[in-house]
Amino acid sequence: MFINHALQEISFKLVYYGPGLSGKTTNIEFIYQQLEPSMRSDLVTLNTREERTLYFDFLQLELGRIKGKKPRFNLYTVPGQSYYRFSRKIILRGVDGIVFVADSQRLRMGDNLDSLLDLEKNLIEMGLSLQRFPWVIQYNKRDLPDVETVERLQSKLNFFGADHFEAVASEGTAVLLTLKTLMKSVIDKAEILVN
Amino acid sequence: MDLTNLSSGQQLILSEDVFNAVRTASQDLAASTGARQVIFAETNGYPVTYVGDVKGLDLPGITSLAAGNFSATAKMATMLGEPGSFKYIYHEGQDRNIYISSVGFNFILVVIFDAEVALGMVRIFTKKAVDSLTDILKSAKFEEEKSREFLDREFKALLNEELDRTLPF
Repeated sequence: MFINHALQEISFKLVYYGPGLSGKTTNIEFIYQQLEPSMRSDLVTLNTREERTLYFDFLQLELGRIKGKKPRFNLYTVPGQSYYRFSRKIILRGVDGIVFVADSQRLRMGDNLDSLLDLEKNLIEMGLSLQRFPWVIQYNKRDLPDVETVERLQSKLNFFGADHFEAVASEGTAVLLTLKTLMKSVIDKAEILVN
Repeated sequence: MDLTNLSSGQQLILSEDVFNAVRTASQDLAASTGARQVIFAETNGYPVTYVGDVKGLDLPGITSLAAGNFSATAKMATMLGEPGSFKYIYHEGQDRNIYISSVGFNFILVVIFDAEVALGMVRIFTKKAVDSLTDILKSAKFEEEKSREFLDREFKALLNEELDRTLPF
Protein backbone atom coordinates (compact mmCIF):
# COMPACT_ATOMS: atom_id res chain seq x y z
CA MET A 1 0.00 0.00 0.00
CA PHE A 2 1.25 3.44 -0.81
CA ILE A 3 -0.34 6.62 0.52
CA ASN A 4 0.66 9.92 -1.06
CA HIS A 5 -0.72 12.63 1.23
CA ALA A 6 0.18 15.51 -1.08
CA LEU A 7 -1.85 14.12 -4.00
CA GLN A 8 -4.41 12.41 -1.74
CA GLU A 9 -3.80 9.12 -3.49
CA ILE A 10 -3.80 5.59 -2.17
CA SER A 11 -2.53 2.74 -4.25
CA PHE A 12 -2.69 -1.03 -3.79
CA LYS A 13 -0.88 -3.85 -5.58
CA LEU A 14 -2.84 -6.98 -6.48
CA VAL A 15 -1.17 -10.00 -8.07
CA TYR A 16 -2.71 -12.84 -10.08
CA TYR A 17 -0.72 -15.99 -9.30
CA GLY A 18 -1.12 -19.60 -10.44
CA PRO A 19 0.32 -22.27 -12.72
CA GLY A 20 1.06 -21.63 -16.40
CA LEU A 21 -2.01 -21.48 -18.66
CA SER A 22 -4.48 -21.34 -15.74
CA GLY A 23 -6.06 -18.13 -17.05
CA LYS A 24 -4.40 -15.25 -15.20
CA THR A 25 -3.95 -13.11 -18.30
CA THR A 26 -7.49 -14.00 -19.44
CA ASN A 27 -8.80 -12.55 -16.15
CA ILE A 28 -6.93 -9.29 -16.67
CA GLU A 29 -7.99 -9.06 -20.32
CA PHE A 30 -11.64 -9.46 -19.36
CA ILE A 31 -11.34 -6.76 -16.68
CA TYR A 32 -9.70 -4.48 -19.25
CA GLN A 33 -12.54 -5.03 -21.75
CA GLN A 34 -15.29 -4.50 -19.18
CA LEU A 35 -14.17 -1.27 -17.59
CA GLU A 36 -14.70 2.23 -18.89
CA PRO A 37 -11.50 3.57 -20.48
CA SER A 38 -11.55 6.46 -17.98
CA MET A 39 -11.20 3.93 -15.17
CA ARG A 40 -8.24 1.99 -16.45
CA SER A 41 -4.80 2.32 -17.98
CA ASP A 42 -3.67 0.60 -21.16
CA LEU A 43 -3.03 -3.09 -20.75
CA VAL A 44 0.69 -3.81 -20.73
CA THR A 45 1.62 -7.36 -21.67
CA LEU A 46 5.05 -8.89 -22.12
CA ASN A 47 4.60 -12.14 -24.00
CA THR A 48 6.86 -14.75 -25.54
CA ARG A 49 6.46 -15.56 -29.23
CA GLU A 50 4.03 -18.31 -28.20
CA GLU A 51 1.82 -15.71 -26.51
CA ARG A 52 2.75 -16.95 -23.04
CA THR A 53 3.38 -14.36 -20.35
CA LEU A 54 7.11 -13.71 -20.23
CA TYR A 55 7.43 -11.24 -17.41
CA PHE A 56 4.09 -9.78 -16.36
CA ASP A 57 0.85 -8.19 -17.48
CA PHE A 58 -0.09 -4.89 -15.91
CA LEU A 59 -3.33 -2.95 -15.63
CA GLN A 60 -4.12 0.01 -13.42
CA LEU A 61 -7.67 0.65 -12.18
CA GLU A 62 -8.53 4.07 -10.92
CA LEU A 63 -11.76 4.87 -9.09
CA GLY A 64 -13.22 8.36 -8.88
CA ARG A 65 -12.31 10.55 -5.91
CA ILE A 66 -13.87 9.49 -2.63
CA LYS A 67 -13.84 12.12 0.13
CA GLY A 68 -11.29 13.88 -2.06
CA LYS A 69 -9.01 10.86 -2.15
CA LYS A 70 -8.12 8.87 -5.23
CA PRO A 71 -7.84 5.07 -4.86
CA ARG A 72 -5.81 3.08 -7.38
CA PHE A 73 -5.37 -0.64 -7.82
CA ASN A 74 -2.39 -1.97 -9.79
CA LEU A 75 -3.05 -5.44 -11.16
CA TYR A 76 -0.16 -7.71 -12.14
CA THR A 77 0.04 -11.29 -13.33
CA VAL A 78 3.07 -13.50 -12.85
CA PRO A 79 4.43 -15.86 -15.49
CA GLY A 80 3.27 -19.32 -14.40
CA GLN A 81 5.95 -21.58 -15.87
CA SER A 82 8.31 -22.97 -13.24
CA TYR A 83 11.49 -21.55 -14.81
CA TYR A 84 10.35 -17.95 -14.28
CA ARG A 85 10.65 -18.20 -10.51
CA PHE A 86 12.78 -15.06 -10.16
CA SER A 87 10.27 -12.97 -12.10
CA ARG A 88 7.54 -14.11 -9.74
CA LYS A 89 9.53 -13.10 -6.68
CA ILE A 90 10.16 -9.66 -8.13
CA ILE A 91 6.51 -9.11 -8.98
CA LEU A 92 5.39 -10.18 -5.49
CA ARG A 93 7.39 -7.39 -3.85
CA GLY A 94 5.05 -4.96 -2.11
CA VAL A 95 1.97 -7.09 -2.87
CA ASP A 96 -1.21 -6.23 -0.93
CA GLY A 97 -3.48 -9.05 -2.14
CA ILE A 98 -3.41 -12.16 -4.30
CA VAL A 99 -5.84 -13.96 -6.61
CA PHE A 100 -4.68 -17.55 -6.98
CA VAL A 101 -6.03 -18.79 -10.32
CA ALA A 102 -6.21 -22.59 -10.22
CA ASP A 103 -6.85 -24.73 -13.29
CA SER A 104 -9.81 -27.01 -12.47
CA GLN A 105 -8.77 -29.74 -14.90
CA ARG A 106 -8.02 -33.05 -13.21
CA LEU A 107 -4.59 -33.31 -14.85
CA ARG A 108 -3.50 -29.93 -13.48
CA MET A 109 -3.93 -30.63 -9.75
CA GLY A 110 -0.19 -31.21 -9.30
CA ASP A 111 0.66 -27.96 -11.09
CA ASN A 112 -1.83 -26.07 -8.91
CA LEU A 113 -0.27 -27.47 -5.76
CA ASP A 114 3.28 -26.73 -6.93
CA SER A 115 2.34 -23.16 -7.75
CA LEU A 116 0.55 -22.62 -4.44
CA LEU A 117 3.52 -23.96 -2.49
CA ASP A 118 5.84 -21.78 -4.57
CA LEU A 119 3.67 -18.79 -3.65
CA GLU A 120 3.68 -19.59 0.06
CA LYS A 121 7.46 -20.13 -0.02
CA ASN A 122 7.98 -16.76 -1.68
CA LEU A 123 5.68 -15.05 0.81
CA ILE A 124 7.48 -16.65 3.75
CA GLU A 125 10.78 -15.30 2.40
CA MET A 126 9.15 -11.85 2.51
CA GLY A 127 8.01 -12.41 6.11
CA LEU A 128 4.40 -13.03 5.07
CA SER A 129 2.10 -16.07 4.81
CA LEU A 130 -1.18 -16.94 3.12
CA GLN A 131 -2.53 -17.66 6.59
CA ARG A 132 -2.53 -13.96 7.47
CA PHE A 133 -2.79 -12.33 4.08
CA PRO A 134 -5.65 -11.07 1.86
CA TRP A 135 -6.09 -13.64 -0.90
CA VAL A 136 -8.84 -15.44 -2.78
CA ILE A 137 -8.80 -18.58 -4.87
CA GLN A 138 -10.45 -18.89 -8.25
CA TYR A 139 -11.21 -22.35 -9.69
CA ASN A 140 -11.05 -21.54 -13.37
CA LYS A 141 -12.09 -23.44 -16.51
CA ARG A 142 -15.21 -24.92 -14.90
CA ASP A 143 -16.68 -25.33 -18.39
CA LEU A 144 -14.16 -27.97 -19.46
CA PRO A 145 -15.18 -31.65 -19.43
CA ASP A 146 -12.62 -33.34 -17.17
CA VAL A 147 -12.56 -31.10 -14.10
CA GLU A 148 -12.07 -31.89 -10.42
CA THR A 149 -15.02 -31.40 -8.09
CA VAL A 150 -14.96 -28.15 -6.13
CA GLU A 151 -14.95 -30.19 -2.91
CA ARG A 152 -11.74 -31.90 -3.93
CA LEU A 153 -10.13 -28.66 -5.07
CA GLN A 154 -11.10 -27.08 -1.77
CA SER A 155 -9.66 -29.91 0.30
CA LYS A 156 -6.40 -29.97 -1.68
CA LEU A 157 -5.77 -26.28 -2.23
CA ASN A 158 -7.74 -24.06 0.08
CA PHE A 159 -6.08 -25.03 3.33
CA PHE A 160 -6.57 -21.60 4.95
CA GLY A 161 -10.24 -21.23 4.02
CA ALA A 162 -9.91 -18.26 1.65
CA ASP A 163 -12.95 -17.08 -0.33
CA HIS A 164 -13.27 -19.20 -3.46
CA PHE A 165 -14.97 -18.77 -6.84
CA GLU A 166 -15.94 -21.07 -9.67
CA ALA A 167 -15.01 -19.28 -12.85
CA VAL A 168 -14.88 -19.43 -16.62
CA ALA A 169 -12.52 -16.54 -17.24
CA SER A 170 -12.75 -16.87 -21.03
CA GLU A 171 -16.46 -15.98 -20.73
CA GLY A 172 -15.97 -13.57 -17.82
CA THR A 173 -17.84 -15.75 -15.32
CA ALA A 174 -16.90 -14.73 -11.75
CA VAL A 175 -13.93 -12.65 -12.96
CA LEU A 176 -15.16 -9.31 -11.61
CA LEU A 177 -16.59 -10.89 -8.47
CA THR A 178 -13.20 -12.45 -7.72
CA LEU A 179 -11.52 -9.08 -8.17
CA LYS A 180 -14.06 -7.15 -6.12
CA THR A 181 -13.88 -9.61 -3.23
CA LEU A 182 -10.10 -9.31 -3.11
CA MET A 183 -10.23 -5.52 -3.31
CA LYS A 184 -12.58 -5.37 -0.31
CA SER A 185 -10.41 -7.74 1.66
CA VAL A 186 -7.30 -5.65 0.90
CA ILE A 187 -9.06 -2.44 1.97
CA ASP A 188 -10.17 -4.12 5.23
CA LYS A 189 -6.62 -5.19 5.98
CA ALA A 190 -5.20 -1.76 5.14
CA GLU A 191 -7.65 -0.01 7.45
CA ILE A 192 -6.67 -2.35 10.27
CA LEU A 193 -2.96 -1.79 9.59
CA VAL A 194 -3.20 1.98 9.62
CA ASN A 195 -5.44 2.13 12.65
CA MET B 1 11.61 7.13 9.44
CA ASP B 2 13.92 5.92 6.65
CA LEU B 3 11.77 5.58 3.53
CA THR B 4 14.67 4.26 1.45
CA ASN B 5 14.74 0.87 3.16
CA LEU B 6 11.34 -0.38 4.27
CA SER B 7 10.90 -4.03 5.16
CA SER B 8 8.31 -6.26 3.42
CA GLY B 9 4.77 -5.60 4.45
CA GLN B 10 5.62 -2.13 5.83
CA GLN B 11 3.36 0.59 4.46
CA LEU B 12 4.84 3.32 2.32
CA ILE B 13 3.40 6.65 3.37
CA LEU B 14 4.63 9.88 1.85
CA SER B 15 3.94 13.16 3.67
CA GLU B 16 3.21 16.43 1.91
CA ASP B 17 6.60 17.91 2.92
CA VAL B 18 8.51 14.95 1.52
CA PHE B 19 6.45 14.97 -1.65
CA ASN B 20 7.13 18.67 -2.22
CA ALA B 21 10.86 18.21 -1.63
CA VAL B 22 10.92 15.26 -4.02
CA ARG B 23 9.06 17.23 -6.66
CA THR B 24 11.48 20.15 -6.37
CA ALA B 25 14.47 17.81 -6.74
CA SER B 26 12.87 16.22 -9.84
CA GLN B 27 12.16 19.66 -11.34
CA ASP B 28 15.77 20.75 -10.71
CA LEU B 29 17.04 17.62 -12.43
CA ALA B 30 14.81 18.16 -15.45
CA ALA B 31 15.92 21.80 -15.69
CA SER B 32 19.63 21.04 -15.44
CA THR B 33 19.63 18.19 -17.94
CA GLY B 34 16.97 19.31 -20.42
CA ALA B 35 15.35 15.90 -20.02
CA ARG B 36 11.98 15.31 -21.71
CA GLN B 37 10.56 13.65 -18.63
CA VAL B 38 11.76 12.89 -15.12
CA ILE B 39 9.67 10.37 -13.22
CA PHE B 40 10.16 9.57 -9.56
CA ALA B 41 8.48 6.25 -8.85
CA GLU B 42 8.38 3.58 -6.21
CA THR B 43 9.89 0.22 -7.07
CA ASN B 44 6.44 -1.32 -7.56
CA GLY B 45 5.89 1.04 -10.46
CA TYR B 46 3.71 3.70 -8.86
CA PRO B 47 4.67 7.10 -10.33
CA VAL B 48 4.98 9.39 -7.32
CA THR B 49 5.66 12.54 -9.30
CA TYR B 50 6.81 13.53 -12.75
CA VAL B 51 8.13 16.54 -14.60
CA GLY B 52 7.70 17.18 -18.32
CA ASP B 53 5.03 16.62 -20.91
CA VAL B 54 3.53 13.16 -20.52
CA LYS B 55 0.74 13.62 -23.05
CA GLY B 56 0.71 10.51 -25.20
CA LEU B 57 2.95 8.67 -22.75
CA ASP B 58 1.34 5.76 -20.89
CA LEU B 59 2.71 6.82 -17.49
CA PRO B 60 1.54 3.83 -15.38
CA GLY B 61 2.70 1.49 -18.16
CA ILE B 62 6.16 3.01 -18.56
CA THR B 63 6.82 3.22 -14.81
CA SER B 64 5.67 -0.36 -14.19
CA LEU B 65 8.00 -1.53 -16.98
CA ALA B 66 10.89 0.63 -15.74
CA ALA B 67 10.38 -0.70 -12.21
CA GLY B 68 10.19 -4.30 -13.47
CA ASN B 69 13.26 -3.76 -15.60
CA PHE B 70 15.19 -2.32 -12.67
CA SER B 71 14.11 -5.08 -10.29
CA ALA B 72 15.20 -7.74 -12.78
CA THR B 73 18.68 -6.22 -13.03
CA ALA B 74 18.81 -5.89 -9.23
CA LYS B 75 18.33 -9.64 -9.03
CA MET B 76 21.11 -10.13 -11.58
CA ALA B 77 23.36 -7.94 -9.42
CA THR B 78 22.66 -10.15 -6.40
CA MET B 79 23.44 -13.25 -8.44
CA LEU B 80 26.78 -11.71 -9.40
CA GLY B 81 27.59 -11.12 -5.75
CA GLU B 82 26.89 -7.39 -5.68
CA PRO B 83 25.84 -6.15 -2.23
CA GLY B 84 22.86 -4.21 -3.60
CA SER B 85 21.24 -3.41 -6.92
CA PHE B 86 23.15 -1.85 -9.81
CA LYS B 87 23.26 1.90 -9.35
CA TYR B 88 21.67 2.60 -12.69
CA ILE B 89 20.61 1.07 -15.99
CA TYR B 90 20.68 2.84 -19.29
CA HIS B 91 18.97 2.13 -22.61
CA GLU B 92 20.01 4.03 -25.70
CA GLY B 93 17.64 4.39 -28.62
CA GLN B 94 17.84 6.17 -31.93
CA ASP B 95 16.04 9.31 -30.74
CA ARG B 96 15.31 8.73 -27.05
CA ASN B 97 17.30 7.36 -24.15
CA ILE B 98 16.20 6.23 -20.73
CA TYR B 99 18.32 6.31 -17.60
CA ILE B 100 16.99 4.59 -14.48
CA SER B 101 18.66 4.96 -11.07
CA SER B 102 17.84 3.43 -7.72
CA VAL B 103 17.03 5.76 -4.86
CA GLY B 104 17.51 3.45 -1.89
CA PHE B 105 15.59 0.20 -1.89
CA ASN B 106 12.09 1.58 -2.44
CA PHE B 107 12.28 4.15 -5.22
CA ILE B 108 13.65 4.70 -8.70
CA LEU B 109 14.35 7.82 -10.70
CA VAL B 110 13.62 7.62 -14.43
CA VAL B 111 15.11 10.19 -16.79
CA ILE B 112 13.95 10.18 -20.42
CA PHE B 113 16.00 12.39 -22.72
CA ASP B 114 16.73 13.07 -26.38
CA ALA B 115 19.71 11.57 -28.15
CA GLU B 116 21.26 15.05 -28.48
CA VAL B 117 21.62 15.42 -24.70
CA ALA B 118 25.04 14.33 -23.42
CA LEU B 119 24.87 11.19 -21.32
CA GLY B 120 27.69 12.46 -19.09
CA MET B 121 25.62 15.44 -18.07
CA VAL B 122 22.61 13.25 -17.27
CA ARG B 123 24.83 10.99 -15.16
CA ILE B 124 26.35 13.85 -13.16
CA PHE B 125 23.08 15.64 -12.43
CA THR B 126 21.17 12.43 -11.77
CA LYS B 127 23.82 11.37 -9.24
CA LYS B 128 23.36 14.71 -7.45
CA ALA B 129 19.58 14.33 -7.53
CA VAL B 130 19.78 10.78 -6.16
CA ASP B 131 21.96 11.96 -3.24
CA SER B 132 19.56 14.78 -2.49
CA LEU B 133 16.49 12.51 -2.76
CA THR B 134 18.11 9.92 -0.50
CA ASP B 135 18.67 12.58 2.19
CA ILE B 136 15.05 13.73 1.88
CA LEU B 137 13.66 10.19 2.17
CA LYS B 138 15.94 9.15 5.02
CA SER B 139 14.76 11.95 7.26
CA ALA B 140 11.04 11.55 6.49
CA LYS B 141 8.65 11.87 9.40
CA PHE B 142 5.96 9.24 9.82
CA GLU B 143 2.62 11.02 10.17
CA GLU B 144 0.65 8.33 11.94
CA GLU B 145 -2.34 10.49 12.80
CA LYS B 146 -2.73 11.80 9.25
CA SER B 147 -2.67 8.27 7.85
CA ARG B 148 -5.35 7.16 10.29
CA GLU B 149 -7.49 10.05 9.12
CA PHE B 150 -6.79 9.17 5.48
CA LEU B 151 -7.96 5.59 5.72
CA ASP B 152 -10.74 5.86 8.28
CA ARG B 153 -13.91 3.77 8.52
CA GLU B 154 -15.99 6.26 6.57
CA PHE B 155 -13.56 6.21 3.63
CA LYS B 156 -13.49 2.42 3.73
CA ALA B 157 -17.31 2.23 3.69
CA LEU B 158 -17.56 4.71 0.79
CA LEU B 159 -14.86 2.88 -1.15
CA ASN B 160 -16.71 -0.40 -0.70
CA GLU B 161 -19.92 1.27 -1.95
CA GLU B 162 -18.05 2.61 -4.96
CA LEU B 163 -16.72 -0.86 -5.74
CA ASP B 164 -20.26 -2.29 -5.56
CA ARG B 165 -21.43 0.43 -7.92
CA THR B 166 -18.54 0.01 -10.38
CA LEU B 167 -18.40 -3.78 -10.28
CA PRO B 168 -22.04 -4.79 -9.65
CA PHE B 169 -21.57 -8.58 -9.58
